[in-house]
Amino acid sequence: MHHAIPISWYLIVSAILFTLGTIGVLVRRNPLTIFMSIELMLNAVNLSFITFSSYLNSVDGQMFVFIVLTVAAAEVVVGLAIIVSIFRTRRNINVDEMNVLRG
Amino acid sequence: MIAGVPIPNFIEFVVLAVASIASGLGVILFKSAIHSALTLILALLFVALFYLLLGAMFIAVVQVLIYAGAIMVLFLFVVTMLASENTGDVIEPDRKPWQRGIAATLGFILIGALSYLLFTGTAINSAAITTAASGNGLAQHVADPKLGNTQAFGLALFHGFSFPFEITSLLIIVALLGAMVLGRRSLSRDERH
Amino acid sequence: MTNLTPWVLLLPLLGFILQGLFGKFMPRRAILTIAWGASGLAFVFAAISFFSMLHTAPAARLNDAVLYTWASSGTVANHVLSGNVPLNISFGLLLDPLSATMLLVITGVGFLIHIYSAGYMEDDPSFWRFFAYLNFFIFAMVLLVSADNFLFLLVGWGLVGLASFLLIGFWYTKRSAVDAARKALVINIIGDLGMMLAIFLIFQHYGTLNYLTNGSINGVFDLVTKGGVATGVTTAICLLLFVACAAKSAQLPLYMWLPDAMEGPTPVSALIHAATMVTAGVYLVARANPLFQVSPDALIVVAIIGGVTALFAATIALTQLDIKRVLAYSTISQLGYMFMAEGAHNYSAGVFHLTTHAYFKALLFLGAGAIIHSLGGEQDMRNMGGLSKRLKITMVTFVIASLAISGIIPFAGFWSKDDIIGSLLTQAVNGGGALFYVLWIMALITAGLTAFYMFRLVFGIFAGDYRGQGPLAHGHGSDEVTDEEHEGGHGGLYAIYEAPAVMTIPLIILAVLSTIGGLIGSYAIFGQPHWNIFASWLSPVFTNPAWTNLPVQDLSLSFGLTLTSGLLSFGLACLGILVAWRMYGKGFVYKESKNPIYQLLIHKYYIDEICIALIINPIKWVGRTASALLEGNLLDGGSRGIAWVSRGSSDGLRRLQTGYMRNYALAILFGVVLLIIYFAVMRG
Repeated sequence: MHHAIPISWYLIVSAILFTLGTIGVLVRRNPLTIFMSIELMLNAVNLSFITFSSYLNSVDGQMFVFIVLTVAAAEVVVGLAIIVSIFRTRRNINVDEMNVLRG
Repeated sequence: MIAGVPIPNFIEFVVLAVASIASGLGVILFKSAIHSALTLILALLFVALFYLLLGAMFIAVVQVLIYAGAIMVLFLFVVTMLASENTGDVIEPDRKPWQRGIAATLGFILIGALSYLLFTGTAINSAAITTAASGNGLAQHVADPKLGNTQAFGLALFHGFSFPFEITSLLIIVALLGAMVLGRRSLSRDERH
Repeated sequence: MTNLTPWVLLLPLLGFILQGLFGKFMPRRAILTIAWGASGLAFVFAAISFFSMLHTAPAARLNDAVLYTWASSGTVANHVLSGNVPLNISFGLLLDPLSATMLLVITGVGFLIHIYSAGYMEDDPSFWRFFAYLNFFIFAMVLLVSADNFLFLLVGWGLVGLASFLLIGFWYTKRSAVDAARKALVINIIGDLGMMLAIFLIFQHYGTLNYLTNGSINGVFDLVTKGGVATGVTTAICLLLFVACAAKSAQLPLYMWLPDAMEGPTPVSALIHAATMVTAGVYLVARANPLFQVSPDALIVVAIIGGVTALFAATIALTQLDIKRVLAYSTISQLGYMFMAEGAHNYSAGVFHLTTHAYFKALLFLGAGAIIHSLGGEQDMRNMGGLSKRLKITMVTFVIASLAISGIIPFAGFWSKDDIIGSLLTQAVNGGGALFYVLWIMALITAGLTAFYMFRLVFGIFAGDYRGQGPLAHGHGSDEVTDEEHEGGHGGLYAIYEAPAVMTIPLIILAVLSTIGGLIGSYAIFGQPHWNIFASWLSPVFTNPAWTNLPVQDLSLSFGLTLTSGLLSFGLACLGILVAWRMYGKGFVYKESKNPIYQLLIHKYYIDEICIALIINPIKWVGRTASALLEGNLLDGGSRGIAWVSRGSSDGLRRLQTGYMRNYALAILFGVVLLIIYFAVMRG
């Protein structure tokens, strides 16, 4: 497929989204929001995979995205289960409170 | 032509880019978790549109169906369940406010470095890349241009990637079991008899 | 000629091993059988070797039984022969007149002392250990005198030092004995160091350690006579060897250990510190005579030190109150005589005095031991007296020995001592210069002093009335202090009995030897060396015709001068005895004198105190300071510092573990950014 837009533009967008996700992980204290930021990061990566797949005329990138999608789904399930069970015992979901592992 | 790119392509790209970045910002900036979740759905949709732009139709639909449809719904369930306990986000003040500054700085640095790399990287000439890539053993499954995207994808999935496919289904089962175990309410003392 | 030296060496070693391993469980008879058997057979084999030598021509009286090659490979440089010589150090046992003489003395006197010890040590619970050590000592001493190279001489040297240490500290529960053993060992190690340095020098310059050429192995003495090595080097070698001799033979300034060595049992004092071990130094100088002959300066040092030591020790002996200490200083003095003779180039005179001294000094010590045994442990002369009524045999033998050591005709000591004094005069007359006249006069004075203090001892022990209180309750090993600490003895004089036969028979044998043993060298009185049977027996060792490069000493003296010297020494000896008779003939009355000279002498010139102040205390101070500084600050501080560093760093690193997930994520991001910057820089 002929591409009019240089590849680096797409990749920049992906980079920006990735960075936004990273900042979100670092700044927010609600674990759910942190999770969402992680999802944002995953999506950014997916975008760059698809970009490369498109520009290299290869299906491998899309395959990878497919699998990443599946893994993200599984991860979300387990992660939310963990958060819920933490919430049940602590009644509080501030990540700063969860510092039992401090050295 | 703007910056060597035909105007229609440019517009569609820029609009989508701005929209997805804006929704990304929204995810990380909203105080309320519900708002963040909804904004994330928006971001996912815009990214799916990007996929369409890039010719990955199948993946775009899959993204909408699974990510935006299933995963985010799950998120919303949990968010609303937990949000009903707290009003909004946590009220206590941030114990380490300085982290925001550092995070922002690092974020800018990251973007800057990535941009530098991406802009100064060699432009991708798709044909040349393709032949070179196939010579290196990369891009094994070069799509036959006559096939449609879904067909090509299906062929690759069941011919070249069947093993990862099976493993992924195993992964899903494991995650399912894990979630069931984790989600089980342990019997409290009074209930045990 | 049969060389049975390997057996002489092996039998005492076997005795030591057997008694050492199993002695604790053996009955007394078995121990005595092994001990007496080993030393007795050793003596028999030594005697057989000796007699077989008598039947060989004098020039052929040399047999080197090489037992195995210790090191043999490559070549080594030497400064005498051109080019390198092959390296070859082997273990062999040399039998020649000198070593045969020494062997007879060692095994003979050793055997007699083994017999005597059976009686002296009868009450001791560590009976077996004593005989094991005695056998070990015989083995070590035989090794020393019969080794055919310097290396195994050193081995024997060290082993006799060990034997001495073990035997001085035999009653190791007594603090003073342990201290004395340690003192002996430390001073002997100084001597060992000197010998090691000498051996290094010998090896460096001659490339070999054997005494005499044996087949393909060169002999040091044969190479010495070829010249080629600077006199400075040979003098250094000889002086270093003499350091070892001074330590082992208790000469100035390394004599301090010998009086303290009297803490050991009396048979030990008799065997090791009178008859045999301390004579190792004299043997060494005699054995290495070619080296000393090419270093006249070293010989002068030997003579001077011998002379000064003889006089010095005799003066201290004048005032001592412990009978064993008197005998110890007397030993030091007589050893000085032997070194004086060797310094005057008359090696055979030194060896002759060595043999006669072995007889009468062993006899003196064994007699003292019999007295101590009969008195139940008393050693202080102030508590004796009048013992002539009770200890007849002991007295007679003791007096014979005293006459011998004082140099009274016809006893053995006269001939040998006169040989020495005569040789000093010979050297003075034949070119030794004024030094030897001075030494001659010193020797004469010492002879007079010797006679005096010996008979002071004799009268103090045997004459007059008994001043003590009877046999003490406990056994041997009392200090030389007064008997205030002891319980009063019981029974007085008439509870004292003569020593048992097993102790008196060796006394009698040694007394006979002290009487007639000197006659073999008696022709020396006539000043003509070739009339001296003993000297001519030993001459192949000292005057080898193959050694053309050595200066030939003229050892002859005119008859007139010999007679004068002999009469002078005899007269001074008689004078000494007379003075002692006048002062103590009626019994020894102890007066604490405030005379400063007396105080100086009785405190042994305060040498021990000086040593402690000048040497021991600074060393202790250095040790303490080093311990405090180095160990306290450096080592302890170092290890504490390491602990502090690790604790501090772990404390610091602990702060990274905040427990906040966000901090961890920040750290990850930080790392990622660094990586990307790195790639960006690399690209650019």
